[in-house]
Amino acid sequence: MKIFSILVLIFMVFTISMWAGGQDETEGATGEAPQELQKMNFQLNWKVMGDHAPYYVALNKGWFEEEGLDVNIIVGQGSAYTVQALDAGKAEMGISDAPVPIKLRADGAKIKIVGIIFDKHPNCMYFWKDSGITKPSDIAGRTVAVPASDGHKVMWPAFARLIGVDPENVKFVNIEPAAKVAALASKNAEVVFELYTGKPFMEKAIPVEELGYFIWADYGFNAYAHSYVARDDVIENNPELVRKFLKAAYRAWEFTLENPKEAIEILSEYHPINKDDYLVNLEVMMDFFKTDRYNENGIGYIDPSRMQETVDTVEKYMNIDINFPLDDIYTSAFLPDPMYFYDY
Amino acid sequence: MKIILRFIRKYGPKLLYMILFLALWQGLVMVFKIKTFIIPSPIKTLSHIFVPEIASKYHWFKHIRATATEILLSFGITAVTGVFLAILITWSRFLRNLITPIIILMNSIPKIALAPLFLIWFGYGILPNVLIAILIAFFPVVINTVTGLNSVEDDLLDLVRYLHATKLQLFLKIRIPNSLPYIFSGLKISATLCVVGAIVGEFIASDKGLGYLLRDAQAFIDAPTMFASLIVISSMGLLFFSLISLLERTIMPWQLDKQEKSR
Repeated sequence: MKIFSILVLIFMVFTISMWAGGQDETEGATGEAPQELQKMNFQLNWKVMGDHAPYYVALNKGWFEEEGLDVNIIVGQGSAYTVQALDAGKAEMGISDAPVPIKLRADGAKIKIVGIIFDKHPNCMYFWKDSGITKPSDIAGRTVAVPASDGHKVMWPAFARLIGVDPENVKFVNIEPAAKVAALASKNAEVVFELYTGKPFMEKAIPVEELGYFIWADYGFNAYAHSYVARDDVIENNPELVRKFLKAAYRAWEFTLENPKEAIEILSEYHPINKDDYLVNLEVMMDFFKTDRYNENGIGYIDPSRMQETVDTVEKYMNIDINFPLDDIYTSAFLPDPMYFYDY
Repeated sequence: MKIILRFIRKYGPKLLYMILFLALWQGLVMVFKIKTFIIPSPIKTLSHIFVPEIASKYHWFKHIRATATEILLSFGITAVTGVFLAILITWSRFLRNLITPIIILMNSIPKIALAPLFLIWFGYGILPNVLIAILIAFFPVVINTVTGLNSVEDDLLDLVRYLHATKLQLFLKIRIPNSLPYIFSGLKISATLCVVGAIVGEFIASDKGLGYLLRDAQAFIDAPTMFASLIVISSMGLLFFSLISLLERTIMPWQLDKQEKSR
């Protein structure tokens, strides 16, 4: 017991010192400027996927360097980790699902949304066409497999209300993310919640003509999803860093959307990926940029009323009190000027 | 009065450590203003278990019952099949060569990699979770029991052979009783592994259980509930381990004397 207590103590002290030490690390990283390039860490939201190609395009083409940045891209472990890592000072900027920084800001994280990636929300539901599901509300009473810790379950009550279903009237099975295709293919679940970007992988196991899907956004679900986030003190003390990063990132997005094949080719120089799969994955995502909002305002544009809607949804369904004004959670001040556009 | 005194003498220091630890945890969180999503305070964490208004949201009883069922079932099966396999392995060279590689192969599989397959084969629910717990937990029982069955003094074996004992008698009267301490140390390891296994199973696919709750809390970035689930899970492991120790002491009181003396 004595030894146990001591071990726990050591563990706690260690954890805290890591957490505190992280902040020093960043100061060192941003303070020194070898070759006059500013060093920064960029935290991805997940393991490398097709939508991460732009950052490697910007690296490869020297666009970060052009902006005076030396960007270190860190592979991710989910949106919650991104926000935690940023808040602890382990990275300056990152990618996160929009509800996460909103929820964690209410818990004291000093993280802001500074730009949007997907304009259309990628949440989606998949099912076998022969299951008798012909409209989203047919989900009522069914068994739904949901990969734990992706935003679907959190946002489900909001979507359920939109389609007129009692949120309690489905049976949820939490599954390991690796098992989501198997859950539907084996018919152990009647419906699987998974991002629209997962469609190519679903189609590998289920014949295209038998796979049904509904994208939530097509039925009125209007929250924000993948976004760029930055820590408050970075925005305050080093606003140019945020501005420069976003400029290079959106420039690379424009290139990636217009040359997806080349972008994946570049990504494959940095990571051992299956190029064919990743190209399909990226091409599916390109749909999220084909919106009127982005056509009019450019890639990355943040719509204040839609951000308000996202915050309201989070407040209602994640059990928190929003104790800060809307301006605290996002800023459009660092978006590129002029904006980049996607001509499709 | 005497009973209370004895209780304090026996458990007092343990309780004191526990309280000191919680106080230190609370103090550190408050002094360093550690944010809830990094380490929640013990008061906040425990309130998610013990304050009825908050705790009722999480249906603790339902989840604990599901996980406990999985742990008990998997442990029961592990204990019986583990000891049985060990006897088979020791029984003959042929069986040993047949079974051992399979056991080692199975133990070397990263169980989480089986996730999609288990879902296809068995669906979700108690059964696949019990199977995963067994897969994770059976190895130490087999290995320890085999060691125990083989660690009989040569002189003793010579003696019973001289007395023309049958192989069955040799196992029932010499080898198995002799291996009891080894079996129990294997069982104790596997008791905690069954807890881990049940949770791993629930992580792969489940509609209830503490692993389900933990995953839900992760999705909602609800750190106090995550910590609370972990506390409940490890308490169950501790309780289960103590039960096995108690059983050990009841079956082999002489073993306890030996341990006391060696101290």
